[in-house]
Amino acid sequence: MNQFLRSLTPTEQVAALFLIVFGLLVVVSTTAFFLTFRERRNPVHDAAWQAELAHYRKLLGTTWFMAVVFWVGWALGETVATVLFALIAFFALREFITLSPTRRGDHRSLILAFFVVLPIQFWLVATARFDLFTVFIPVYVFLAIPVASALADDPSHFLERNAKLQWGIMVCVYGTSHVPALLLLSFPGYEGKSAFLVFFLVFVVQTSVLVQHVISRRTQRKPFAPNVSRSFNWTSWGIGIAVASLVGALFSFITPFKFGQALAVSVIACIAGSMGHLVMKALKRDRGIPNWGKKGVGVTGANGLLDRVDALCFAAPIFFHSIRWYFNA
Amino acid sequence: MLAKLTGWLLLGIVRLLTGAQARWYGCPPKAEQRIYFANHQSHADLVMIWAALPEELRSITRPIAARDYWANTPFKRWITTEVFNAVYVERAATAPASAAPHAKPAEAEAPPLPTRAAVAAQAERIEPSMEPLLPMAPAAAPIVDVTPEAFDEVQGRLDLPAPPPAAPAAEPTPPPREPEPAAVAAASGPDPLAPLVEALRSGDSIIIFPEGTRGHTGEPQKFKSGLYTLATMFPEVVLVPAWIDNVQRVMPKGEIVPVPILCSVTFGAPIRVDEGEERRPFLDRARAAVIALRDV
Repeated sequence: MNQFLRSLTPTEQVAALFLIVFGLLVVVSTTAFFLTFRERRNPVHDAAWQAELAHYRKLLGTTWFMAVVFWVGWALGETVATVLFALIAFFALREFITLSPTRRGDHRSLILAFFVVLPIQFWLVATARFDLFTVFIPVYVFLAIPVASALADDPSHFLERNAKLQWGIMVCVYGTSHVPALLLLSFPGYEGKSAFLVFFLVFVVQTSVLVQHVISRRTQRKPFAPNVSRSFNWTSWGIGIAVASLVGALFSFITPFKFGQALAVSVIACIAGSMGHLVMKALKRDRGIPNWGKKGVGVTGANGLLDRVDALCFAAPIFFHSIRWYFNA
Repeated sequence: MLAKLTGWLLLGIVRLLTGAQARWYGCPPKAEQRIYFANHQSHADLVMIWAALPEELRSITRPIAARDYWANTPFKRWITTEVFNAVYVERAATAPASAAPHAKPAEAEAPPLPTRAAVAAQAERIEPSMEPLLPMAPAAAPIVDVTPEAFDEVQGRLDLPAPPPAAPAAEPTPPPREPEPAAVAAASGPDPLAPLVEALRSGDSIIIFPEGTRGHTGEPQKFKSGLYTLATMFPEVVLVPAWIDNVQRVMPKGEIVPVPILCSVTFGAPIRVDEGEERRPFLDRARAAVIALRDV
């Protein structure tokens, strides 16, 4: 099996990965469909079980959507993938700004953030200008945003407003832009397989968040910072990191890393991701909301997006820069 | 065809920028005849609520657009008639018009005259912009309220100098400008409510903004009585309150480029005019129903 996979060209290997993912999804979806079908005709379980099933079906729908989006992004090439992440950044920033109070005077700065900074950042990524894209936001935009704000002639809460906007841009635009940037890293002997690196990062980070969530649900330990998160405690956090890093290490064959290296970068990505998730929780608590997005009602499909990508937003830059530094890729 | 394409394009842009979410609390989206009344913060309110309605309702629901804002360029005129299928209402030009037919019924009731000067002063605040709440016209039908106070509200809302102090109701001033013939088809006179009455008679739902003018703060202003007038004229039409959230942040006054911020339109439980309910209590109740949707 392994020999067979190794004999494939990189493109075929990525295609095989998608085949496996879609195959699994088909199996799970069919099972869910028949379960629902059986329940409709002949209800066996109680309402709670039904609700759980409905919840899983919804989750499954999201997973299908994400898988298709990733597949389209891969099939149509790096440019499309970059555009895809630019859209994700756009929606995430939109949610972030919606729930951070802004004033009239911020209007021009917001236009700058959405319609100038975001496109330029992703254009820099798409054209592989690594030197510029890593400093564009922390250096140049850092000055441009407060200048636009100051020119709006509204000094009240100046620092707060600008700090919020800078922060939003850092998390939503700068963070997200590092995911497609992974596609452009070049490792010797790993040409054409960078899509695996993106998959590796997303998979490992999501696993750690998920495992941590499940463990803290099951064990009901005392939360470490109850005012920020009712579920965060060091034990489940540690287990989440350990499990996800081990999974990452086992998947080292799809990456350019050796087993130990894959374990190390997984640990780094998981710590960054889970801590980023915690930070965003603190932010949500401060705004008095359980979820990003408009009052928890999702009609447009863009809502609660930030909830799903926040871990990635923090993990991607750290992952990117640590491997670029260590491997000189 | 072009109108349809523009509609889709516009819908796409609005969804991309604001999400244009409809939240149905209190009533389902249903194809019955309705009057949606909402708070008014921005020119974009009209577009927002249009975009938030589901496709099937959008085609039978007509928003109200002030002629002097939405019809002052050929493009705006085209987009409001062809894409939004809006009902134009006159704003400035109709003051004397509504004054004329007003005479007899007003005298019949004759409650104490409120201070006209105060109301007229209020008028200066109002900017010349889209004021979808039409002057409610006392003369639309005999059943409507036609107190001098109501008349003052009409006057107060208009960008006209206050009429001569001598009881304006008695003056047989001819309307200075006739509304478009099509718009007033059903009404007997150049009544500013006439286009709405016409739209409701033909079975369409309408969207109105009873504040009359865009507010500057979060709190909606006092409702004008056009809503009450329509509600009493068409008791069978369902009155649905709506709260449009966040739109003023998307495009504050004086800005041209909109900023992407999530907005939503919350639709609440329908209200109706109770048996023998007076105009002011009903309008306050309607306003409270809209405000209550802010926090659901």
